[in-house]
Amino acid sequence: MFWKKKRNQRAEPDTPAKTIGGLFHQLKSNPDFIHFNHRSDTFTCWISFFHTLIDINFVHRDVLSFLYDRRVSSLNDAVRVLPMEKVIRTKDLTEIQAKLLDGYIIVQEKESSSECLLIPATKNHGRQVTEAETETSILGSHESLVESIEININLIRKRIPIPQLAIEEMRVGKISNTRVCLLSIDGVTNKENLNTIRQRIQSLEVTNLLDVAQLAILINDNGHSLFPQFLDTERPDRIASAIYEGKIAILVDGAPAALLLPTTIVEFFSAFDDYLVSWPIASAYRLLRLFAIAFSVTSSSFYVAILTFHYQLIPKELMSTLYTSRNSVPYDPIIEVLLLEIMIELLREAGARLPTKVGQTIGIVGGIVIGTASVQAGITSNVLLIIVAMSALAAFITPNYRMATTIRFIRFPFILSAQVLGLLGIALCYMLFVCHLIKLTSLGRPYIEPIFPLRVSDLKDAYIRLPYNNQTMRPLFLRTRDPGRARPKRVQAKKGKHKSDIDE
Amino acid sequence: MRKKHNSTQILIPIFCSLFFLSGCVPTYIFDDIMIIEGIGYDYIGNGKIIGTITTPNFVQGTGSGGSQSTGVPANGPMVRTLSAKTYDGKSLIDKFQAEGQMGLQGGKTRLMIYNKAMAKHGLLRQLSFRNRDPDLPRDMNLAVVEGNCREILTSNDYQAQMSVTQYIQNLIQDNSRQNYPETDLAKFLYAYYGAYMDPFMPLIRKQGDHLELRGLAIFKKDRYVMSIPNKKVFLFKMLFQKFNQGVYDMQYAHGKHIALRNVHTAISYYVRNGNSATPDIYAKVKVIGQVRQATPKAISKRTSQSVAKLFEKSLTYNAKALVHQFQKKGVDPLQLGDQVRSFTYHFDGASWPDRYPNAHFHCQVSVNIQQTGISN
Repeated sequence: MFWKKKRNQRAEPDTPAKTIGGLFHQLKSNPDFIHFNHRSDTFTCWISFFHTLIDINFVHRDVLSFLYDRRVSSLNDAVRVLPMEKVIRTKDLTEIQAKLLDGYIIVQEKESSSECLLIPATKNHGRQVTEAETETSILGSHESLVESIEININLIRKRIPIPQLAIEEMRVGKISNTRVCLLSIDGVTNKENLNTIRQRIQSLEVTNLLDVAQLAILINDNGHSLFPQFLDTERPDRIASAIYEGKIAILVDGAPAALLLPTTIVEFFSAFDDYLVSWPIASAYRLLRLFAIAFSVTSSSFYVAILTFHYQLIPKELMSTLYTSRNSVPYDPIIEVLLLEIMIELLREAGARLPTKVGQTIGIVGGIVIGTASVQAGITSNVLLIIVAMSALAAFITPNYRMATTIRFIRFPFILSAQVLGLLGIALCYMLFVCHLIKLTSLGRPYIEPIFPLRVSDLKDAYIRLPYNNQTMRPLFLRTRDPGRARPKRVQAKKGKHKSDIDE
Repeated sequence: MRKKHNSTQILIPIFCSLFFLSGCVPTYIFDDIMIIEGIGYDYIGNGKIIGTITTPNFVQGTGSGGSQSTGVPANGPMVRTLSAKTYDGKSLIDKFQAEGQMGLQGGKTRLMIYNKAMAKHGLLRQLSFRNRDPDLPRDMNLAVVEGNCREILTSNDYQAQMSVTQYIQNLIQDNSRQNYPETDLAKFLYAYYGAYMDPFMPLIRKQGDHLELRGLAIFKKDRYVMSIPNKKVFLFKMLFQKFNQGVYDMQYAHGKHIALRNVHTAISYYVRNGNSATPDIYAKVKVIGQVRQATPKAISKRTSQSVAKLFEKSLTYNAKALVHQFQKKGVDPLQLGDQVRSFTYHFDGASWPDRYPNAHFHCQVSVNIQQTGISN
């Protein structure tokens, strides 16, 4: 239809400037746009820039002082004199506009002349590299990504000092033109994966892109799924190790996190610390996390199912405890469970949105005061309070925040199905989720890979982490071009003869 | 042409029916039902029985949690016991429903007890009714009572601070970890329905303010025929299953006792001439034990070999006597018939009941005393 068509065409900003004069006219009303005529004895020029985007000290010290030099009498002279390695000379209006908004200075001979000198003077004003906040760790590097993509690339390049580290830059967003970088290692990363992700990013039709999580949602395989299909991390050491493994990392300018892809579900439950402690400990903690998640998802639904339908399953020693705590509660188990679960959900949301100092108070008020009060008022039972609090705790064991949110969310379908059909309902709900997970892919690769399809060699670094000398191969899942990580013969070579030191 | 459905077209009706039909599923919310813990049957003749049920009174006797901390007056089940006359076979639960203020549910029944008259009358109807009900647990304990079930279940003068049912169940279960063979509904029904074997139950009675195990009640099919006393239960269990932690007390001279606690007992059977008129059943028992109680100077490390010989003699003699007793009554709680069957090609099952009393039971017990305790 005609109006629709028109609306679609207007995705580009209004009335793009046709000439450089028009561009300046458009920008003149902005208070931070500076456009002035510089005259010296030998050279007259127009200088324009956004003073909010450029490093003003740098301009005064290293640009203007050279332009005011006596030797300069034309743009050619200026290029020769300026102490910069990359001064662009162009007539292309789109480039001029883009560079101006990236923090370049424009120098023209006449105000209306289309030939411009573009001098980079970008101000890198951003957060310092700080400690990781969402993925804190006790061992290992404490650096975390920041909002500036240059610093982020710097952090990663420092960890991968090889020429094969390939960085591919793209622009996403019709208006925002956000910089997006793909990082991979030539000769290791699977080409097919790289092509898929490149094609997905290039064919994106969005006006603006502000965060890497937004990109993840835009390019994932199944947009309706509750499960995150790409791993987001803010730890440069984790990114580097993933790239070494043969994964692709995506950085977005302005986002303090990177996407690692393709990913399997087990990676959401492994923390980077796992690689820094000895393998039995790492394996034990991974299994602990696994059980915690199973507990978190099913505990309150089991409570509902057993208390509503299957009183036969209550252990006889537990009966009197359960009875006395349930006794004064006027509601059915389902109402009681929903009440408490929603209360904990409210607490979490309030704690996350409020300023840090108030947030802690809310935790105490909610957790202790409301919890005890609701039990004493006879609205919920003691036992349930323990179950719900423990399952909330268990959900946060997940190292990845987005996965933790998913885990907390999928509890509700389980609770409702437990109320509808009891244990059978839980089983049906479980089946539904398993079917969904089996179908799910990440960049076209199976999402629950080491289990289905079963690839035994990848199980070495899934639920348990075997020692490094057993992990001589890169994950089969990634289909890397160089599957070997280390020479097995050398890694598993026998140690030299032990010289006993104890016997005197 | 077949129309292709997409997944939403299939899923939406499923979810709708689940949602709207979920009200049709009966719920048994744990604290809105009366849970039956124990059932007792007293036979009063003429095809009538008195049935008694107990429900747990959780509020009584639970110290922690519960009523004090919530500040709300606790209201447990009001009725603790119910009893009524009924013709046997009819479900007691249905009979009592009119008297319970909440729905009565039998899914956590732990105990069923029968008085001797009931057991002699035959449990056929009770058993087939219990077996048919899938709601009942199969690991509940059964027992025959000397005296009156109703009295046992309703009296208030026990020393134990727990419910009677729990008391009886603990009594049976703890003892079956020692001298008594393991019994529950599943094992009883196995022996009842199985060929060439007969079931048994523990026998209890109320003695003043406590309960005690009297021995084992032996059934022929569903009818009680005999009992074996408490002191012979060790022999029974020794011939019946592998076990440990039982105690056998031997009087080797007048007023002189040695008690053997077994740490391991294994039984193996061997059968010859299984189809003949007089089959030979060989039982080989190996007992490893410790002496923990003995008359002073009855045993030391030096004399332990000779004491073991005494034990062997006593055990062999008494085991043989026990089996003879069973053979005389024509009951087979030790499942010897099943052993014979398993050792015999083309076993002649039809004539077995006639041949069983004539079978020769050979028993060989070897006792190994490993510790005699601190004697110096």
